[in-house]
Amino acid sequence: MRTVRALAPYLVAIVVAAGPFLTDDRFLLKVLTFVGLNALVIVGLALLFGFAGQVSLGHAAFVGLGAYASAVCSVRFGWPWIVGFIAAGSLAALGGLILALPSLRLKGHYLAMATLGFGELASLAFVEAEPVTGGVDGFSGIPFPSIGGFEFREPAALYWLVWAIVGIAVLLATNLTALRPGRAMRALHGSELGALASGVDTTGIKVRVFVLSATLAGLAGALYASVVGFVSPSVFTVGSSVTFLAMAVIGGTGSLAGPLVAATALTLVQYLDALIPGISRDTARIVQSFQEDVYGMSIVLVVLLAPRGVSGLLKRLGSVGRP
Amino acid sequence: MTMLKVRGVSRRFGGLTAVDDVSFDVHEGQIKALIGPNGAGKSTLFNCVTGFDTPHEGSVEFKGQQLVGRRPQVAVQMGLARTFQNTQLFDEMTAHENVMVGAAARHAAGFFAAALRLPTALAQEQEAAATASRLLRRTGIEEWADTFAADLPAGIRRLVEIARALATDPSMVLLDEPAAGLNATETAELVETLRRIRDDGVTVLVVEHDMGLVMEVSDEILVLDRGKKIAEGPPRMIQKDPLVIAAYLGEESDDG
Ligand SMILES: Nc1ncnc2c1ncn2[C@@H]1O[C@H](COP(=O)(O)OP(=O)(O)O)[C@@H](O)[C@H]1O
Ligand SMILES: [Mg+2]
Repeated sequence: MRTVRALAPYLVAIVVAAGPFLTDDRFLLKVLTFVGLNALVIVGLALLFGFAGQVSLGHAAFVGLGAYASAVCSVRFGWPWIVGFIAAGSLAALGGLILALPSLRLKGHYLAMATLGFGELASLAFVEAEPVTGGVDGFSGIPFPSIGGFEFREPAALYWLVWAIVGIAVLLATNLTALRPGRAMRALHGSELGALASGVDTTGIKVRVFVLSATLAGLAGALYASVVGFVSPSVFTVGSSVTFLAMAVIGGTGSLAGPLVAATALTLVQYLDALIPGISRDTARIVQSFQEDVYGMSIVLVVLLAPRGVSGLLKRLGSVGRP
Repeated sequence: MTMLKVRGVSRRFGGLTAVDDVSFDVHEGQIKALIGPNGAGKSTLFNCVTGFDTPHEGSVEFKGQQLVGRRPQVAVQMGLARTFQNTQLFDEMTAHENVMVGAAARHAAGFFAAALRLPTALAQEQEAAATASRLLRRTGIEEWADTFAADLPAGIRRLVEIARALATDPSMVLLDEPAAGLNATETAELVETLRRIRDDGVTVLVVEHDMGLVMEVSDEILVLDRGKKIAEGPPRMIQKDPLVIAAYLGEESDDG
């Protein structure tokens, strides 16, 4: 049992890396690339929600910020893709810092409210700032990612690029959670008073985690823009933020694997009818509408029971099957 | 040397003055007890001293530095640690992990170093783990190291919290009712633990109801009643103080 557990991450990594060898279905590879993009966002949200216990209702806005930033950098400024990618992450980080600093100094659910407001504002801004974003029509003609002359235009290449970045993020996040920062996050989640009394700079930790999660969302946005080649404001709504949060909530607390599995499952469900040949439209639709209920329910649970209530519940559920 | 110098501290909640113009000193190497009936303002005074609350008036000097207005974690980094009347453990972490959080109090936040597993981060990790193990041994609860805090008995929870406070390497600890919920054997062991803490060079200020424990362990006693300091001195003197006797008799007749 123990060895299975220790080996599991390596097995998963091998299977994920081998993806393009296991299928040559271009559509499936695209979908799996989208899974990777969501996974990148969820790594950050798993740290923010699952470890530090903070709720964000605006992470889609950071994805949008990253997407438009990289689009503008490559199309309008003609900068190399990697520069736009880094700029997207930096801009999202800055946005996260500006949002987190004032709201995290206050006690209570100010962060949740601030992120909700930011999310609404950003989705308006993406539509209204037409000269920059292309307004409702969106931003098109975004080039594929390219690094040092190599252009990632084949689905397999895009798949590998996205999942390589996900792999790096998961690795760094795993290190982070295994050492002092992870303990500090779990500590402030467990008891803020206890954390303060143990010398933990609780505000500092929350701000750092929030900025980190915003950065990952921004990077995911930059990848998304260049994978799809087109950015539409309808993607970066509060509804998408709720979906992200639901993935983190359903995935459970104190773990990266749980939210990553949830992100994979919930992303695949959206493409159910296309992925399973022969499944009837209606069946797919029923499953998909059920999925919406799950999102709604998990968010209601967060609001009603407070993040700790849900996480406690998930923890208990998670430990049932343990040896 | 004066470790803690409290002068004219007052804290009001609406119309209620929970702490009323209280002044006292705690000297290095002392075990000082803070006693008083329920609601006397002991915990509020603790909060004002440790940065968890801000007094309306007065000053708190710790090792010669002003503490009022500083954030709690700054007080910890200056060497002033505390425990709570309602234990504040991290329930989903083991006893050892709980104490490790305290042991890392003076380490840098280290997000970058941890993410990249830099040698500094790994060295600090080992140091924190070793400190935590040492303090669990020192407080006599090493057999609970791998138990999740949520599953610990009340008495052990108190000791884990004390170990966590000591792990921050303090010059002084403030313990808020460490014997609450302890049985007689555990209380006797706590007396030994408090002495050991003092012998390790850590000054102690302890809120306690158990008069036997207070008389046995403390070098000096400070008595609060309805927010005011009504007596201060060695145990023998406090025992005979008419004001103290009246305050405690008053409490007993209130209860009965
Ligand atoms: N946050 C608060 N808000 C209002 N009143 C409070 C608060 N904290 C303490 N008090 C009041 O202040 C008084 C002193 O409380 P406390 O310091 O907890 O006493 P003790 O620790 O000596 O039992 C009590 O009357 C209590 O009700
Ligand atoms: Mg009290």
